[in-house]
Amino acid sequence: MSLFSRFMDGWRKYRKPGYYDEFDYHWTMTIDLDKCTGCEACVTACQAENNIPVVGEDEMAKGREMQWIRIERYWEGEYPNAKLSFIPMMCQHCDAAPCETVCPVGATYHNQDGLNAQIYNRCIGTRACAVYCPYEVRYFNYYDHEWDSPLEQQLNPDVTVRGKGVMEKCTFCIQRIRQAKDVAKDDDRRRVQDGEMQPACVQTCPTKALVFGDRKDHESQVYKSMNDPRNYRVLDELNTDSSVFYLKKVDA
Amino acid sequence: MHRPMTTETFKLGYNDIHDDVVRSIVKTGPKYYIALATAGGVTLLCFFFPWSYQLYYGIGAAGMNHPGVWGTYLASFIFWIGLSHSGTLLSCVLHLTNSSWRKAMYRSAEAMTLFSLVVAATYVMVHVGRPWFIHWAVPYPNQMELWPNFRSPLLFDVMAIATYITGSTIFIYMGSIPDFAAVRDRTSGWRNTMYTLLSLGWRGTDKEWHRLHWAYTFLAVLIIPLAVSVHSIVSWDFAMSIVPSLHQTIFAPYFVVGAIYSGTAGIVTVMFVLRKTMGFEQYITKLHFDNLGKLLLVLSLIWTYINGVELFTAWYSGTSEEYEALGYKLFGYYAWLYWEMILFCAVAPMLMFSTRFRTSFVPMLILSIAINIGMYTERFLIVATSLSRQYLPDAWGTYVPSPVEISIMVGSFALFTTLFLIFVKIFPSVSMYEVKETMATPKMEPAAPAAGSPA
Amino acid sequence: MPNIDRREFLKLVGAGGVSVGAGFMLREANKDPREYLIPHVLAPEDFSSGLDTFYNSVCSMCPAGCGISVRTREGRAKKIEGNPAHPVSQGRLCTLGQAGLQALYNPDRLTAPMRRTGEGESASFEEITWEQGLKQVGDRLDLLRAARRGNRVAFLTQGVRGHLAQLFESFMRQLGSPRLLHYDFDHPHTLYAANQQFFGESRLPYYDLANTRLLLSFGADYLNNWISPVHHSLGFGESRQGRADVRGRFVQIEPRMSISGAAADEWIPAKPGTEGILALGLAHHIVAEGNYNGADLGAWTNALADYTPDAVAEQTGVPVNTITRLADSFVDTTPSLAIGGGAAGNHSNGVDTLVAVNALNYLVGNIGQEGGLVLNPEPAGPAVQQHRASYSAMVELAEAARQGEIDILIISGTNPVFTLPPAAEFAEALAQIPLVVSLSSFLDETTALADVILPSHTYLESWGDDFPEPGVGFSVGAVSQPVVSPLYNTRGTGDIILDLARRMGSSSVMPWQNMEEFLKYGWRRIYQRGDSQTLAQGFDAFWTSVLKAGAWGETTNGSTAFTLNPDVIAGIGVAPPEFSGSEEDYPFILHPYLSPNFHDGRGANLPWMQELPDPMTSVVYGSWVEVNPVTAEEMGLSEGDLVDIQSPHGQLRVPVFVYPAIMPNVIAIPIGQGHGEYGRYAKGRGVNPIEILSPLLEPITGNLASSATRVNLTPTGGRVKLVKTGGVSRDLGRDIVQHTSLGVEVSSAADNSIPITEVTT
Repeated sequence: MSLFSRFMDGWRKYRKPGYYDEFDYHWTMTIDLDKCTGCEACVTACQAENNIPVVGEDEMAKGREMQWIRIERYWEGEYPNAKLSFIPMMCQHCDAAPCETVCPVGATYHNQDGLNAQIYNRCIGTRACAVYCPYEVRYFNYYDHEWDSPLEQQLNPDVTVRGKGVMEKCTFCIQRIRQAKDVAKDDDRRRVQDGEMQPACVQTCPTKALVFGDRKDHESQVYKSMNDPRNYRVLDELNTDSSVFYLKKVDA
Repeated sequence: MHRPMTTETFKLGYNDIHDDVVRSIVKTGPKYYIALATAGGVTLLCFFFPWSYQLYYGIGAAGMNHPGVWGTYLASFIFWIGLSHSGTLLSCVLHLTNSSWRKAMYRSAEAMTLFSLVVAATYVMVHVGRPWFIHWAVPYPNQMELWPNFRSPLLFDVMAIATYITGSTIFIYMGSIPDFAAVRDRTSGWRNTMYTLLSLGWRGTDKEWHRLHWAYTFLAVLIIPLAVSVHSIVSWDFAMSIVPSLHQTIFAPYFVVGAIYSGTAGIVTVMFVLRKTMGFEQYITKLHFDNLGKLLLVLSLIWTYINGVELFTAWYSGTSEEYEALGYKLFGYYAWLYWEMILFCAVAPMLMFSTRFRTSFVPMLILSIAINIGMYTERFLIVATSLSRQYLPDAWGTYVPSPVEISIMVGSFALFTTLFLIFVKIFPSVSMYEVKETMATPKMEPAAPAAGSPA
Repeated sequence: MPNIDRREFLKLVGAGGVSVGAGFMLREANKDPREYLIPHVLAPEDFSSGLDTFYNSVCSMCPAGCGISVRTREGRAKKIEGNPAHPVSQGRLCTLGQAGLQALYNPDRLTAPMRRTGEGESASFEEITWEQGLKQVGDRLDLLRAARRGNRVAFLTQGVRGHLAQLFESFMRQLGSPRLLHYDFDHPHTLYAANQQFFGESRLPYYDLANTRLLLSFGADYLNNWISPVHHSLGFGESRQGRADVRGRFVQIEPRMSISGAAADEWIPAKPGTEGILALGLAHHIVAEGNYNGADLGAWTNALADYTPDAVAEQTGVPVNTITRLADSFVDTTPSLAIGGGAAGNHSNGVDTLVAVNALNYLVGNIGQEGGLVLNPEPAGPAVQQHRASYSAMVELAEAARQGEIDILIISGTNPVFTLPPAAEFAEALAQIPLVVSLSSFLDETTALADVILPSHTYLESWGDDFPEPGVGFSVGAVSQPVVSPLYNTRGTGDIILDLARRMGSSSVMPWQNMEEFLKYGWRRIYQRGDSQTLAQGFDAFWTSVLKAGAWGETTNGSTAFTLNPDVIAGIGVAPPEFSGSEEDYPFILHPYLSPNFHDGRGANLPWMQELPDPMTSVVYGSWVEVNPVTAEEMGLSEGDLVDIQSPHGQLRVPVFVYPAIMPNVIAIPIGQGHGEYGRYAKGRGVNPIEILSPLLEPITGNLASSATRVNLTPTGGRVKLVKTGGVSRDLGRDIVQHTSLGVEVSSAADNSIPITEVTT
């Protein structure tokens, strides 16, 4: 390929959100807010799966929480008609992600599965991605976090323990996706089937409010769920083209 | 812009200029050493020590938190970039417009640019989480075949600053060559060797003068758009985001004007100090303060206008996001800082409508410092208020600087001072040959015309 | 090539060699010792590097008995998931269950047997061997048994089921002591008593949330801590959006909005303790409207005569039209279900309240129906209900100890010093017992007062089994097996008991060498219930299949037919609740509730739980008191203001959280924090509201009426920053959580319209 055509090819890709003509898989999550009870099982499951450090009370007081998925709460009305709605918020894996454009070193990029990936090794810690993210789901390692021994024995060997000065965020449990793809590849190069893998939060959700899968598979549960008439995307007006669909809460 | 010089300048002979300037380089009193030691000590203690602490333990030493991931480091960075602006930019503009009053002060102004940029570049290192990998933000061929992200405004920021540093360095160096030569001819020993090297064999021939002037003007033309672009690009770091109250098209001119504004105020401060401490009373005169005062006044008015536009845009948007950000700016946690900024940068400069005020040294000094405090606040507010109030109210939070950050901020001023103190002992801090150009021929011929002087 | 002569060359080589050597030495000296990997020469069978091994077991973090599936890697537990084959959890798990790993790898675990030395202030623990510890306890037990004074031994455990419970029982039978107490702060005594009264059996029915269309919950926080939260959550999700055209409606009646209240479609604040009166108000309306046609209609009409909607509205503070509307929809929507518990059961009228809730189910015919109350069959495993200790049983134990009637107290798992109000004077009573033995895995408040500590394994290291109570409408059982080898010099609780039994000469009656053996012995009976195919395969195959599947089930359903004892109807009626303290001196009613993170305090030593924002308030690492916004404004209080909360029995200082959904005269404090011991993460954080509870009892069960303490609230003028993760909890018109209403067809725009963002496929 000539240098010029390579350049033009790159240019054309650059002009496309996510650079890809077509994703291999298009991992998507739907969250049914009518089912979400705010129990936070997903939060702890995520902590356990992804080696997310416990930062301690002083750091929490400074507002340096580390929770890749968090539950936001919004009150409406006043007593006695007060209502509370929960909404799980994690990286939305936007196909037109604002964070991806700003990283000067390209530490966050879109991979071929439609995931917004974060390369810890490459991150230099400008934290610009966290500023650009409208969902505020990027968390920064302000310190090297330590696990009081023997808590470190619980650490997931498939997930990097992040050091100081590095940004991190929800990966849709990319290690599980990789494993499922490996298994599928070894198994006669088939595609990963619906329900074959789930991120930790989806797997544990006691009300099954979270559904995960490949939206290119039109038989998948997630494809059906994201085409539910109740679907919407948070901050859709920003055109981030996110991969997390929420299903509206039903008032009855 | 061209004005007759005030009488003070006319009292001097060509030789007096050389004497004064060379004296300022060669003769070093204990006061200088005390000042240098103090500045250097403060730099070590307040800048490098906390920074080392931060490098060892992590950015957590600063006060940044979850919504407020950017803090005073970035505010200081913009501040120093801003301060850098007037020096070289002003010098270029005034050079091209043949404003001769520039000539006594431009060397120190350009030095200010250079050192502000150095401090700003250091702040980039202080700001990022892993400064030991900062070179990854620079496009260079490497075995990993990894390139920086060319869509990132941050990358262009790095490039713009690098270019601006390079341009400014060449500009100040080139303008100093004749003066290096002059100093070379009046010194001996190691200084002579140093200035011989620095003056690049300048002999003062017509050809050399011609080429110097040509190159100097060429660079001046080149640097003006560069300076404007630098701060525009810095503004894009913010304006390219979709953070409410940052995502504004006015940001580039806002930053450029703000930069020139704070830089000009900085020049007033530096000139006052130079005038007092280096004995340059006859070179830096009321005329300079008067002219700079007018410039400041104009800049202040433009700056105020842009601030109004910013508020109006937020209000006119009609969205909850912008409303909240606006309300937070005016009445929220940091509101006292906002009103302090308005007082220092929009209200107080109105005093400069009075000629008497403009030509009074001490009030101008106080005002110039106040403006820079206000402008620092402005940068802090841009970072802190916007990040505190974004799209998801449940993720709102406040950021408060930590002692480490404040210490590094203080230390950065000491670093700047240290660099400047070193500068005045190496560079002729007043451009000798250009000051001479502005003078009428003295009545008495100097005893021995110095080589390199435009005789 | 530069000119290097031989000498130069040798010098350079020498210098280079020395530097490399020095550098290497330096590196070696600074090397992190963890870098060394020691490979297994003979790896265990189930151990292969880089590959996961999953073990099915049972969660013991709360009494629900969820089946879990633990991922292990290189012999270490990495992640706990729900076991999809287990009917209770169905592959799902709650936050506390997820955090079980931090109980296993807790840095503050007890690592070896210990003995108290010194007295009073200078008391400390010294490490001893198992032989020493077991001998000290076993000899004393043997002595007492030989002297036929075994009744001077008391055994206090957390609520356990299955064969461990049976083991405890036979152990105590050998000693001839009736003092076996299963104590949990949150055990629903009143619910059992109410069901005993109503159904005639001391078992909980299965609440079929999944199939119901309308749920009325009287105080039961069924999604959080009530009985089986994961299973209820599954049912909730299924009922809400799991069915094609039916969406279940959920109504929550409670003075302070719980997680279940937030999830509900309607939250109705009723005065504390009047939930039963409200239920009877609904019942009255149902009967009065002619919606009940049973043979015993007359009896019902009589019994409910006083509970007219007007009278009930007056007593409960719930408007008349709400009462009639709820009653009508409860009849009209079938199947519907009413459940009661939590704070509603923890009043002086607790049993009556829950009977009233059952009556409501009875009147609309929910009992034995799908989507209603499904009666459970007899559990397959050992039943232990009779040993459940209420507050008064604990007070009796303490009294006996004070009287010198108890020589040895063995405590396993439970932490009464923390979960009993100081009025029970339990800690003081412990001091009167010559030998207190703790089998706890952690140094909790009770264990800190023990004389001998024989630390147990955590549940992930030990053998056990569980028969979830209530079942899921059919018999369920599961075996809990070790998923990792023990971390420390600890032993399984069952193994310790069996060892003690041997030492007091009971090996003829309790011949098992260890818990695993005993379990197999017990499960042989369950095996024998199997069909011919199972029996043909033999017990070992059965045992392996149970361990692999992690669950055993039998499709024997409970009876669907149910006839109500007419005496029950006559006895129906809910007295107004009693409170301790006068309304003048103590204007507020304290509503202590089980923290979603810590349960009754047992989760407080888990760092994940400490750092998990409370779902309702987002507060971490501390305690707070929830105050109604109007009350707070009247008293000039805002978030973080420290207030003194005084009850007739104690005082606490705690920061205010202004809570939008709590009744104005009620204040709520979560239970779980305020530990004086229990490891580095729990110790000295927040307050324990149990400390100020008045010892007011529900008369039938002797249960502590823990929601019946009146308090007053005094601002101290002090302020702290409440550590929380949330910012502003109002969405300011940004439509972040979007709503839609039922009945309105939600459809996409016209076919030809083109949206800005495409739903790419």
